[in-house]
Amino acid sequence: MSQQSGILQQGATEERGENARMASFVGAVAVADLVKSTLGPKGMDKILQSMGRGQEVTITNDGATILKSIYVDNPAAKVLVDISKVQDDEVGDGTTSVVVFAGELLREAEQLVNQKVHPMTIIAGYREACDCARSVLESISFNHQADPVLFRADLLNIAKTTLSSKILTVDKEHFANLAVDAILRLKGSGNLEAIHVIKKTGGTLQESFLDEGFILDKKIGVGQPKRIEDARILVANTPMDTDKIKIYGARVRVDSMAKVADIEAAEKEKMRAKVRKIIDHGINCFINRQLIYNLPEEMFADAGVMAIEHADFDGIERLALVLGGEIVSTFDDPETVKLGRCKMIEEIMIGEDRLIHFSGVALGEACTIVLRGASTHILDEAERSLHDALCVLKETVADARVVFGGGWPEIRMAKAVEELASRTPGKKAMAMEAFARALRALPTTICDNAGLDSAEIVANLKAAHGADADSRMGVDVVRGEAGDMAELGIYESFRVRQQVLLSGTEASEIILRVDDIIKCAPRRRG
Amino acid sequence: MPPKQKNELYKESARKKDVRTSNIEAAKAVADAVRTSLGPRGMDKMVAAPNGEVIITNDGATILQKMTVTQPAAKMLVELSKSQDVVAGDGTTSVVVICGALLKKCQELLEKGVHPTIISDSFSKAAAKACEILESIAIPVNMEDREALIRAANTSLSSKVVSQYSSLLSPMAVDAVLRVMDPARPNMLDLRDIKVVSKVGGTIDDSEMVDGLVFDQKAAKSAGGPTRMEDAKIGLIQFQISPPKTDIENNVIVSDYNQMDRVYKEERNYILSVVKKIKASGCNVLLIQKSILRDAVTDLSLHYLAKAKIMVVRDIERDEIELISKTLGCLPIAHVDNMKPEKLGAAKLVEEVEVGKGRVVKITGIENKGRTATVLLRGSNKMVLEEADRSLHDALCVIRCLVNKRFLIAGGSSPEVQMSMQLAHWSKTLQGMEAFCVRAFAEALEVVPYTLAENAGLNPINIVTELRRMHAAGQKYAGINVKKGTITDMLEENVVQPLLVTTSAVTLATECVRMILKIDDIVPTR
Repeated sequence: MSQQSGILQQGATEERGENARMASFVGAVAVADLVKSTLGPKGMDKILQSMGRGQEVTITNDGATILKSIYVDNPAAKVLVDISKVQDDEVGDGTTSVVVFAGELLREAEQLVNQKVHPMTIIAGYREACDCARSVLESISFNHQADPVLFRADLLNIAKTTLSSKILTVDKEHFANLAVDAILRLKGSGNLEAIHVIKKTGGTLQESFLDEGFILDKKIGVGQPKRIEDARILVANTPMDTDKIKIYGARVRVDSMAKVADIEAAEKEKMRAKVRKIIDHGINCFINRQLIYNLPEEMFADAGVMAIEHADFDGIERLALVLGGEIVSTFDDPETVKLGRCKMIEEIMIGEDRLIHFSGVALGEACTIVLRGASTHILDEAERSLHDALCVLKETVADARVVFGGGWPEIRMAKAVEELASRTPGKKAMAMEAFARALRALPTTICDNAGLDSAEIVANLKAAHGADADSRMGVDVVRGEAGDMAELGIYESFRVRQQVLLSGTEASEIILRVDDIIKCAPRRRG
Repeated sequence: MPPKQKNELYKESARKKDVRTSNIEAAKAVADAVRTSLGPRGMDKMVAAPNGEVIITNDGATILQKMTVTQPAAKMLVELSKSQDVVAGDGTTSVVVICGALLKKCQELLEKGVHPTIISDSFSKAAAKACEILESIAIPVNMEDREALIRAANTSLSSKVVSQYSSLLSPMAVDAVLRVMDPARPNMLDLRDIKVVSKVGGTIDDSEMVDGLVFDQKAAKSAGGPTRMEDAKIGLIQFQISPPKTDIENNVIVSDYNQMDRVYKEERNYILSVVKKIKASGCNVLLIQKSILRDAVTDLSLHYLAKAKIMVVRDIERDEIELISKTLGCLPIAHVDNMKPEKLGAAKLVEEVEVGKGRVVKITGIENKGRTATVLLRGSNKMVLEEADRSLHDALCVIRCLVNKRFLIAGGSSPEVQMSMQLAHWSKTLQGMEAFCVRAFAEALEVVPYTLAENAGLNPINIVTELRRMHAAGQKYAGINVKKGTITDMLEENVVQPLLVTTSAVTLATECVRMILKIDDIVPTR
């Protein structure tokens, strides 16, 4: 119950003690339950229907995307939304796992609180359990970076595991290859900017492809060469319509029409001079962010220069990066300007559209992934999934440690935490046991979502790990039983798992510590 | 949270079921709406747009686009038909009908307690198998074989209002595509190189393919300029023949009457000098691009141009420039000083001809004609004309499909029956749920012959069972002959369609169904 106290401003509410804790538990658990059903390879999707104008529809399986877009009015729920966002920024995947894990920790904590365990004791227990789990996780991870063949296989498996819970699951082989190829081209620089994703409706997902080089969704001007070899490219951001004098109210007064014509001629001459200067850079391709008017277009055509107008800002920044040039807006000294280069520019057709293809670019790591699919919804979701896979791969290239997936690390960690609990005196041990249960909730949820008998499978897993300390058993969702993760090729990035563990624990700790919620009075409107 | 967890879990899953059912229901409703327009005896729909405009069409993509649905799942079906339009251009109704039938089967499977992900996976396998089956019964086609191409176009047109004119429109579509196609690079085929001009008046019989170029506009003859020009030298200009205007604001200050007279004279001189320069280049037909900044031509300049015996066509849109310059082999000219003879295009005859009530400008006998084609469509009213335009586009797309994937299959629903039969056969070799789902998929495909027969007023059950019998007896090209109301060999009846249309219909519909199946929640967002 919220109380009106005399101290706070009118309209402000305060919730205290048990009530406050209850409110935050309920909020956090509700949020976790919302995304719970999307976890795992057989997780379901959600439709996000925008209530704003346009009633746009997004269909997604990505926890971060769902949480980002929902209305949340509960402070504790906001904390969970936040950690999912952080997870997305840090490692790109596991955004659902982290929320589900934090939710489970809180659910367990609630029961402990009901048994009169002090929240601080729970926190202490959670912390120790977390440290223990973390060291187990580190010890069971393995690293194949030294061997390029094995490492590639690892990456491929990780990509497949990440994609298996997304829309791309049927074509995961294809997309895992795409993503790994793209990441390996980056040669560890981790610059995802150099990977350009273009979405074109039509075709099937299977027809998506990776293209070396860069594809720009723009048109080449009329009458200009459609194909250039050994291109020297100037990337610019300059007005090519008219150079206006930007002083307010500037105007000329004349007394005859002939003079107006003269001024017009002078203006045109100015533009000509600019075009000549640009051509003097010794280029054969000119790409501008802004419009190119008819007159300069014709001059470029006459000089045999390919001119591309209206490349949007993202486009030219990336182009400049990929082609190794700079974005230029003054053209006075051609010597100092760094031109972009590439082997070949030509037009290609994708679906019904013509695009411009740059191959043999200076930045060898650049590539473009062209996604094809039945509808924009599918394409958007495919892009998000691919982005997740790329992020995880990027992290793995940076930190090559790998663990098995399918709930394997959770079962191992839970086992270690339980052992720790059995050695620990006092109420803390109860919290540790709760922590272990929360860890096991992840494989349980994966099973539940696949419509399997979760209790049976998780118990089997527990037994298998109890019998053999090096067991590689995890949830095999396809066959609906415990299976060998190494044989199934279900791998995950160590970084993702570690981040899930740490952020999840931290978030639940923050929420547990709360015993008072003060809501400020809403600002008066009108 | 209160410890009534079990109860809540139950409620949760009940809601999930509701969401899925309502999605499927909505999608089915959309499919039902277009079902009756399938096939040669399919009916048309009249769509009244909010602004009072009325469209009569048989084209699934167009109907759905105008329907303005809001339910998210229904929207996905609209998208589906749109992407079929992009990929194949035809079969936009079939794809939605197939999708609806698949969803109906899904609902039955879900009621039996099959997990959605199992249905989804089995369907995707079934779709892949279906494509294999289609490829196995496909007949390769040679691009030189004009007759075969015309037959394919005929099939596509047979379901449209304009079907009785198919003997005229099909060869037109085939010739247009063949003319635009570059034999060296057939995958660069761009249908935008085919210009379709529609003019109300006359009947569709009067439509023709023009060996040259047609403009919707009239020749400007307010000042009595010529409307017919033999041995034309055509200039495509992007500058304006009107009093000069500067980018910087200007005022012409006139202090007395004499000066006013002078300004007037100067204006005339200015325009005269521009016209003289144009004349000097040998140009006698001017195509003038529309200008927003200032008048492209004024009455005065038209007068001078008429005196100089130059024919003028004004208001050329900027996006048409590329096509025109490609067709005429001329380059756009952006400044009067660049009026050079080598930039002009040459043609035997440019004339304004009367077409029904309106007039068009025709350019024929073009020298060095590029790879473009122009079709002049005629019709007795606007609605027929628009439908003819859409039908022609479908026919063009069909031919393009054949260029991209050079295989034909029989029409008249024979491929669907064949797929259904072979899939049912294949399902017997599978195990468990999968076999069950593939079987359902096979049954769903029979919706096409069923609907086709129903729309033609035949007894659907008789027809479908008879078809099954004939296909089982090895007549793999047996299909419904709607005209005769019986079942005949489709190849003998010359009812053929491109392979790509059917494969993409099956794969796209399956992809869409899988997406809808995976959704378990609709979340309102900002």
